[in-house]
Order: sequence, then structure tokens, then C-alpha cells
Amino acid sequence: MSTVQRGILSHTEARSLGGRLTYWLIFAFLLALSLAFVFPFFYALTAGLKNSAEIYRPGLNLLPKVAQWKNYADAWQRFNMLGMFRNSFAVALGGVAGQLLISSLAAYSLARLKPVGGKLMLLIFLMSLAIPGIAYIIPLYITLVRLPILNISLLNNYWGLWLPYSVSAFAILMLKNFFEQIPQDIYDAAAVDGASPLRIFFTITLPLSRSILLILAMLSFVGLWKDFMLPLLVLREASLQPITVRLYTLVQNFPQNLQLAAAFMAMVPPLIVAFLMQRYMKGGMLLGSVKG
Amino acid sequence: MRSSTIPSAKAPAIKRRRIRWREQIPAWLFLLPALVVFAYFVWYPMLVAIGYSFQHVSLVGESTWVGLSNYQRMLADPLFVTAWQNIFNYTLLSLVFGFFVPVLLALMINEMRRATPFFQLVYYLPTLIPVTIALLVWRQIYAPEGGLLNSLLQMVSLPPQLWLQNPALAKFAIVIIMTWAGAGGTVLIYLAALQDIPMELYEAAELDGFGPWQRVRYIAIPNLASKMQVLLVLQIIAVVQVFAEPMLLTEGGPANSTLTPVLASYRIAFLQNDFGLASAWSITLLVVLSIFSIIHVWASNRNS
Repeated sequence: MSTVQRGILSHTEARSLGGRLTYWLIFAFLLALSLAFVFPFFYALTAGLKNSAEIYRPGLNLLPKVAQWKNYADAWQRFNMLGMFRNSFAVALGGVAGQLLISSLAAYSLARLKPVGGKLMLLIFLMSLAIPGIAYIIPLYITLVRLPILNISLLNNYWGLWLPYSVSAFAILMLKNFFEQIPQDIYDAAAVDGASPLRIFFTITLPLSRSILLILAMLSFVGLWKDFMLPLLVLREASLQPITVRLYTLVQNFPQNLQLAAAFMAMVPPLIVAFLMQRYMKGGMLLGSVKG
Repeated sequence: MRSSTIPSAKAPAIKRRRIRWREQIPAWLFLLPALVVFAYFVWYPMLVAIGYSFQHVSLVGESTWVGLSNYQRMLADPLFVTAWQNIFNYTLLSLVFGFFVPVLLALMINEMRRATPFFQLVYYLPTLIPVTIALLVWRQIYAPEGGLLNSLLQMVSLPPQLWLQNPALAKFAIVIIMTWAGAGGTVLIYLAALQDIPMELYEAAELDGFGPWQRVRYIAIPNLASKMQVLLVLQIIAVVQVFAEPMLLTEGGPANSTLTPVLASYRIAFLQNDFGLASAWSITLLVVLSIFSIIHVWASNRNS
């Protein structure tokens, strides 16, 4: 059994009366505050179970008298939640796939194939980290309305999100650093066998990088799932919109209990991802903290 | 065999002169997709943004150069001052209410031994929720009648408040949402920094007679300082870009008290179709954000 790391208080101090008192005081405080943090989830769940009279009744009646599970079925059907989830998944998964493919190809080139001027290229890629996308979202929108040279419009088209989402200097940097740490011997052996760069990339580099690819995929999935501004601009057709864009406007004319039932259901998928990926979450967050 | 095919790393001068073009081609082919998406969706729009700010932009016809007139119109608009004043207040509020919360939480969670992972997860959950979904719930919490906050106030016999309809409270209400949505991620970063502190430091301090508070003051906080500096700048950068909360929750009101530069430029561009004027706003944002970005890069380099 692993021993628990000590904190600022030593084990001896923690076991003393004062230490225990402090511990339980802090514990109680953190517990109370964490209840406040998860309260909106709880509130959405229970308010979504109320009937239409209860939801407007003043006073602090947190729990419904009789849970109206029907609200959830109603909201699911009336708002076509399934369709919205499907759109969100399509948008986020396509973006993640594009980002990982394009970034890992570029990172492999910079780390292993060493093009002339590669260092400068990396610097130019990284420049985009310092400039928030919001500053050029208007010309980006106009670019998507009519792509220069190709003269095609990506409005109301998932490619209009997948392609801009594929841009990630952060992923390029992280993958480049990772690829550089893969021992040269492995590459030498493959080169002796006469494997092409593309073959080495797909059969050696990518399989060896599963862990970092998974973390990057998770980070960008959560980020893209949450994105609001770009899908709002690109997808004008309601049937294509992801849940972040569609739900808020859609529910305005429906009773509050249905709204909150829908909101709660919309909160579930990211939470499932979080629980599944808990092990990687921290590594991912720390990686994310480097992002500028 | 090796030495004949692979140029020696010890002779970089020779290596540089003899570029092996056959290897350059795959190298650039691998780079090509990234170059294309960056060119289309980052570099080109960035340059265009600067150009647009000096143009009268028309989506159908020809755009015409209008010199500085977009900037003059922007500065003449009373909303310009309002929006930036609001951002200044948002930032102050979010620093007062949001900046130290994660530091304190991390210090406390770090002491929780076996319960640490639990708290870590719970505080992190809100960061995963898309803002528009969270706002559906928060709107009900802040609702003037039957809203949760006012019901709470009623229980302790305090007058109900118009949280989102009162200019004095609306910004504060939004900052609370932002803190809720962001604190958990920051807590993880501080926690990791705390766990990186070698235990020997605390043990040595104990031997020197440092009490728990002194250990926090002289060991934990100084070890967090560099992270705090970086996250301070990141928080400012994030707050300056606030958009969805005022757009959906308050529509910039009441009396423009929650209007932000991003929201204003969004309206000018997509409701008034004045892309030139909106670009002048964007360039202003770009300049402000770049200043903080440069500070951020400088701070993180200095600390690493």
C-alpha cells in the first residue's frame, strides 16, 4: 500500500488534536463549497423533475413532490436532443481527428525529417498561440463564406468547422517534443529495413505516441464540444447546429422545467468523458496549462 | 555503413551546405497540410483583419479603402468607452473574486490526503460544461421571481434582488459564473505545483521551528508565485474576451453595463453588417490582448 504524501502539516501534526480539528474544519469547508460547485448540476436535475406548477412556486423547494421523469422524455423528444448530440459529436470528433492528423504530420516533419527552415516554421506556427482567435474571427468568417482561390463557401458545412479546428500550434509543439524523445535507434532500424517516412510515421511513431495523442484528443474534444462562437457563425441552419448553439435559443419558449431537464441532459456527456478519463485528466490539464 | 549514409552530427557546417533535396520533399509534404490550414484559417484572416480595419468592407461588391475613418467612428462611439470600462471592471472583479479562490482551494485540498482526488474532480466538473448550457441553469438561479438566490434571500428575510437587471449587480453575477466555470482548472495547476515542492523543505522548516502558517507563508506561497504570475495574465486574457455570458444572459444590458468589446464587435459585424468598423474593434482587441500575451510569454519564460 502506498503511503499518503504529507501536506504542509506533518503526519505527527495531522494526528494531534489540533491537526485533526484543522483537518475536519477544512474538510467541512471544502465539502460545503464543493456542494455549491455541483449545485447547478443538482438544481438542473431536480428542477427538471418538477411539474409546471412547482417550478414557478416561490420559496426554496428544491425537490419535487413527485418526480416527473416524463419531463426528460418530453425534452428529449421535443428538442430533438439526439440530433443535437449527434451534431456536437460530429463537430468535435471531426475537429479532433483533423487536429491530430495534421498536427502529428507537421510535428513528425519538424522533429524527424528536419526541413530546411523548420525552426522558423515552428516559430511562425507558435505565433498563433499569442494571438487569440477572437481578434480575427470576423475575417475568418468572411474567409469561410468564400475561400480565397478555391472560391467555395463552407457555411452550413461541417468542413467549415473541421478545417479551422485542425489548426493547433499547441498540439504541434507537444507532439514535436514527444517525437524527439523516441529513441533514434528505432528509426534507424526502420530506415535500414527501407521503410518510407510515411510508413515509419504510421507504423512506428503514432503507435508509440498513443498516450500523448489520447491526452491531446481529450483536451481538444472537451474544448471543441464547448465551442460556441465559431459554430454560431458557420452553422446558420438549425438542423446542423451543435447543442451549444441550438439548445439555448430553442428552449426559450418552453416551460422552465423542460429547459432544465434539457440542460441537465446536455451536461451528462462531458461528465461521462470526465469520469472515463479521470486518470488522464490531470496530465491533460497540466499540459493545457502551458497553452498560451 | 552508418557513417557513410548518415552525415556526422559533429560537422554541422558541412551538413548545412549539403542539403539533401530528396529528403526535403517528404519533409515539406508532411508539413503541407498544416501550412494550408494555418494559411487559410490563421495567417490570411490575421492579415485581412488589419486590412479590413482601413476599408469599407462589402461582402458582395468591391471593398474601398477609407483610411482611418473606421477608427475615428469607433472612438467617437460612446459604446467604445463603455465596453472597455466594463472590461476593466470585469477584470478587477474577477481578480478580486476569482484569482485567490483557486490558490486557497489548492492549499486546502492539498492537506486533504486521501480525499484530495475527490475534491479535485468535483471542483473540476464545471470547467467541462459548455457555457451556453451552464447559462440555462444560472438564469434560473438568478431569476427575479422563483429564482433560487432570491428564495434563499427570502428565507433569511432579505429583500430580493434583480441580479441580472440591476446594473450594479449584473457584472458581479457574471463574474460569479466565470469563477464557477474556471476555478477548477486553475486549482489543478496549483495543486500540481504544491505537490512538486520537496517534502524535505517542510521537514527542514519544522526542525527550524517554523509553524504551519510560516510554512505556508515562506515555502508554499513562494513556490506558487511563478504559477500565480502566469495564471494572473492568462485570467486577464480570458476575461477580456468575455462574450457568451453577456450576449445570452443580459444582452449587454441593463443600460450597457455588461457590454464587452467582443460582444460589441459581434453586433457591429453581424447585425449591422459593418465589417470594417467591427475590424477596427478587433484590431484594438488584438493590440490589448497581444500586450498581455507578450507579458505572459515573458513571465513563463522567466519562470521556466
